[in-house]
Amino acid sequence: MAKRSKHEFKSNTMPAIVTVGPVAILLLFLVVAPLIFVAVMSFCQTDEFYNVVYKFTSVNYGKLISTDYLKIYAQSLLIAFITTVLCVLIGYPFAYIIARTKSKKKQLFYMLVIIPFWTNSLIRIYGWRTFLGSSGWLNKLLMVTHLVNEPVDFLYKTGTTVLGMVYCFIPFMVLPLYTAIEKLDGSLLEASSDLGAKPVKTLFEVILPLTSSGIFSGCIMVFIPCLGYFFVSNILGGGNTDMIGNLIERQFKSANNWPLGAALSIILILVTLILVKIYQKLGGDMDNLGV
Amino acid sequence: MKKRILAALISVSLVAMSLTGCGSSAETGATGDQGELNIFVWTEYLPDSVVEKFEKETGIKVNVSTYSSNEDMLAKVKSETAGAYDVLNPSDYMVAQLIAQDMLQPLDFEKLPNFSHIGESYKNPAYDPGNVYSVPYMGGAGAIVVNKDKIDMDITSYADLFDTALEGQLVVLDDFRAVIGMTAKSIGYDMNETDTAKLAEVSDKLMELKNNVVLYDSDSPKSALISGDCAAGMIWSAEVAMAMEEVPSIEVIYPEEGAYLFFDNWVVTKESPNSENALKWINFVMEPENMAMILEEFPYLCANTDAIELMGDEYSSNPAKNPPADAIAKGSYVENLDASTLDIYSEMWTKLKE
Repeated sequence: MAKRSKHEFKSNTMPAIVTVGPVAILLLFLVVAPLIFVAVMSFCQTDEFYNVVYKFTSVNYGKLISTDYLKIYAQSLLIAFITTVLCVLIGYPFAYIIARTKSKKKQLFYMLVIIPFWTNSLIRIYGWRTFLGSSGWLNKLLMVTHLVNEPVDFLYKTGTTVLGMVYCFIPFMVLPLYTAIEKLDGSLLEASSDLGAKPVKTLFEVILPLTSSGIFSGCIMVFIPCLGYFFVSNILGGGNTDMIGNLIERQFKSANNWPLGAALSIILILVTLILVKIYQKLGGDMDNLGV
Repeated sequence: MKKRILAALISVSLVAMSLTGCGSSAETGATGDQGELNIFVWTEYLPDSVVEKFEKETGIKVNVSTYSSNEDMLAKVKSETAGAYDVLNPSDYMVAQLIAQDMLQPLDFEKLPNFSHIGESYKNPAYDPGNVYSVPYMGGAGAIVVNKDKIDMDITSYADLFDTALEGQLVVLDDFRAVIGMTAKSIGYDMNETDTAKLAEVSDKLMELKNNVVLYDSDSPKSALISGDCAAGMIWSAEVAMAMEEVPSIEVIYPEEGAYLFFDNWVVTKESPNSENALKWINFVMEPENMAMILEEFPYLCANTDAIELMGDEYSSNPAKNPPADAIAKGSYVENLDASTLDIYSEMWTKLKE
């Protein structure tokens, strides 16, 4: 008779239920059920008091094809795209330096990326508004140094929205990049150089291909939440340039058309799923998204 | 396959996380000797000191929850269990909506003797004829604000705000009924225009505003005026009053066309389990001395004429705090629109924000 440990279970069912069960129930109630509710609502109508009436209509999806909504979708995708590109351009060198440094300060650099996360992003964005305003520190500095004579209008432009977005999302880019770059085997770089490759060639032929998984996951982590981040465009963009998130928010509040808001959300979810699909097709690893 | 499901869940929860707002729910405190009272009121509209005074005087335990839009309030009242809130503080058009949906109870005016302090012109409003369900609290106007140091143009009407000379200077409320209403008024139409041909003209006019407005803000539009990022605009009159205290060159102007007005009211929910306490509260707030305490902190337009007398000159002669009677008489309120008209408004607004 084989010796059986006291702690071994006879079947796998019990441990599975105990460990995965609570999470599954949580996901079922907090993610799956609300999603089904949103999907159902997107096919509903409203009554004279703007209450949701559970009667089928596809009119909400018909409305989405209007050029105005399409423009706002295009606008959001563009802002998210520019933000992602800037995050890669700024984040990659930074991640490379902290991942490859031999300095003891490595941990410190890493923490510098994380620490701002401990403050609510809303507060940090308001901080930017104060900093960039006509009577803010940046303008004061420019005036004192006589670089400008009149305060510069930094605020309430699409560029300011992008700045706020990049600021909010740069850690989401740096962390996956850091993980990917740290895995990079230093001897490969030496080999590349020994075989006569110039640094630029090494960068494009060795470093970037080997860290592409990090770039992919970083891009997905930045691009997707960017589409829904409406408060940055409200606070720094002055509400001049709507994002998809603004459009959805408005349907649930002042415009009081919940079914239309639900339909807009479903489209956003579909866009997201398509992007994740593309990411997988390009060879991205889903595990890399769970930073 | 499992990974794919996980992927879907992750991406979806990311979207969900990025879209969630914040909110607060009614606290349920310990029941005092005299029972309790759940008040649901606008943010920055009711000082704690007044609530504490009421608790001390009556022994009633008060729970205050706040909201920042009428629609938020309505959605929360509907989704909570019946009777979760006793007293609400809806604006004009929302009172009419609550009455139409049979969500309020008629007030017993024998228990509201302080109603006599309310000015005659504020009684019997169109949204609640005969004050059957509501008692007016505070309100204001969508007033024009101008920083005279920065703008030498003579502005007297909403129409002037569309002048190309004001390019890149304005802050307006992030409220589509207010801004579209203002636009309609500027070309001589009604605040609540429903005629589609006229609305098409309003939509064209609205696009002229696009280059002038740099900031849409309903929460604290005064900040951009104080910091100097904006030089003029259309914002809540009480916000102008607060901006004037910081920057003396800021002025308030009530438009020739008649201003956009709002008025908030006390009502009692139909299922309120503490309706006796609710009436005690409403009567307490209408006591001039208590109302004056509120006005000290939040200088809005007030329906309580006896309270205004207690406030003295600093309040009553300040047109931003106490708008002149003719400005109020000329003004108009937001009214409920049918769903298809509201959709037109919403589409116009979307176009503006492209």
